[in-house]
Amino acid sequence: MTLGLSAFVIFFAAIFTNNILLTNFLGMCSFLAISREVKSSLGLGLAVIFVMTCTSALNYLVYYGLLVPLGLEHFRFIVFIIVIAAFVQLVEMVIERTSPVLYVILGIFLPLITVNCAILGVALFMIIRNYTFLQSVAYGAGGGIGWTLAIVAMGGIRQRLRGAPVPKPLEGPGITLIIAGLMALAFIGFTGMIQIQ
Amino acid sequence: MATMKSRTIFLTGLWKENPVFRQILGICSALAVTNLMVNTLIMSLSLIFVTSMANVTVSILRNVTPPRIRMMVQTLVIAAYVIIVDIFLKAYLPDISDALGPYVGLIITNCIIMGRCEAFARSNPVWPSFVDGVASGCGYAFVLLSVAFFREVLGFGTFFGMRVMPMGWTNWTIMVMAPGAFFMLGAFIWIIRSLGPKEEQKPGVAM
Amino acid sequence: MIKKRLFSVAYMFGLTFFFTALVSGIYEVNEERIAINEQIKLQKVVLEVLGIVPEPGTTDMQVREIFEKRIKVEEREGRILYRGFAGDGKTLVGYAFPLYGPGFWGPIYGMMGVEPQLEKVIGVAFYRHSETPGLGGRITEGWFRNQFAGKRLHARGKEGRYFSFVPAGTARADSELDAITGATGTSRGVERLVNENMKDYLPWIAREKAEGKI
Repeated sequence: MTLGLSAFVIFFAAIFTNNILLTNFLGMCSFLAISREVKSSLGLGLAVIFVMTCTSALNYLVYYGLLVPLGLEHFRFIVFIIVIAAFVQLVEMVIERTSPVLYVILGIFLPLITVNCAILGVALFMIIRNYTFLQSVAYGAGGGIGWTLAIVAMGGIRQRLRGAPVPKPLEGPGITLIIAGLMALAFIGFTGMIQIQ
Repeated sequence: MATMKSRTIFLTGLWKENPVFRQILGICSALAVTNLMVNTLIMSLSLIFVTSMANVTVSILRNVTPPRIRMMVQTLVIAAYVIIVDIFLKAYLPDISDALGPYVGLIITNCIIMGRCEAFARSNPVWPSFVDGVASGCGYAFVLLSVAFFREVLGFGTFFGMRVMPMGWTNWTIMVMAPGAFFMLGAFIWIIRSLGPKEEQKPGVAM
Repeated sequence: MIKKRLFSVAYMFGLTFFFTALVSGIYEVNEERIAINEQIKLQKVVLEVLGIVPEPGTTDMQVREIFEKRIKVEEREGRILYRGFAGDGKTLVGYAFPLYGPGFWGPIYGMMGVEPQLEKVIGVAFYRHSETPGLGGRITEGWFRNQFAGKRLHARGKEGRYFSFVPAGTARADSELDAITGATGTSRGVERLVNENMKDYLPWIAREKAEGKI
């Protein structure tokens, strides 16, 4: 059941108008924890983009290729998590063996990603919305980029905040949430950008 | 671990070590479903169920589970209970199930549950683990219902679907959209942290 | 070492098997109920948009009976049509057809009921969607749906549009409806899918009627 929304539109929507973090609130825990500076945010973001795009594709294939024909849709939660965990493990092993440089940049973030609700969330959303394979991959890629955009921006802002007089009780998660709210507000301004023809 | 009284465990989970505003866990769903109180309530009840049942199961298995695979075991247990909740909602509360959508499935990645299994259930007997699970769930429910209260009343003028604001009230629609959620939760944390005992900044607790 | 590994693997398998069995069992027990819920939901929606409102307190089984007595389903050429009859089972009270299309977040499923003379809308309903609760999700609310009731079925404009959504509170012309504030994407999606489905079904129903098939 294609919905007539081109994969391209979905890709852009996932970054701007339906940013999975600022609109759908996915991936908050690592967002709040890691966004203290741009370097680590970027590292985590890149890892997220990679894992999200690949697991979207994988989960799509597993769901429509295995679960649906066997009538086991209600097991999708377990299966998706296993796919994601297994994929991340695999990637970690491969990176560790082949590129120590890449491992230093990305590798440490990989275990964090397994519990990142954004990855599972993207898989669940694409099933609910009946996306095709291409749409799913576009959604995964766009979602990852959107998430990275948000966390890197937050990293930059928080770096600047270090010299600012933030009230003690607001320090850390409190001020981060308020900034996220302002960012979400700003992103709403993108709404008119996507014309669903 | 010395056996703690159930009361202490419950109150700790509820307030002193509240999963949301102290440990900053489970934020995703805290923002997503809190624009309507009834959705928040069902979500909270589901979380209490899954956390306590997962805690109990992990506790029962704590002496048998090989340490290396304990995270996989926890994930499996949590996922199973979430599926059960999902089936239950689809069968008996289909409208709510539609409204909560994918957020029920996201309970699996809710850091609170995994956190409690790791921190408490795997080293404690069954009953205290159960209480701890219920306590964390209630702590979560408390924060979410408070946030939802303001969001629904200000954003829709209703409370559990019943109109409470006077007819002339203009809805603060921003409250039920994403930014409102962030602001409310941030403000909530601000207030709670100002009121509570001065907490020493633990380095590395980052969550 | 190998013994430990073997035990871990066996343990995982055993545990997975146990929980899979548990979940499957619970699913089996409830499967039928879930399917019935789906079916009853659809039946209630069809009855609603045709103006056949069951008394408060009607049980699900009774809804089924009413549906079976008063609705005849036609499936032809990839289209599905529900014909509603009065209590006597003979007098036609309206036609209902499905509305389906992309919303902002995901597909929206709805139903529209129109009078037998194809002059006016009886009612609409949107029964499944993935829109934001409280925003796009408000398409299920009474005020939104009631806007359609009684509207004349008249395609106008160069694109042959039946309805268009305008900012809430500014609807003046007969073909204008209030959109949902804060849910522009959903409103646009609904506008598109309503118009397209109407364009698809109404001329077809008219033709079938003229040929005496329905």
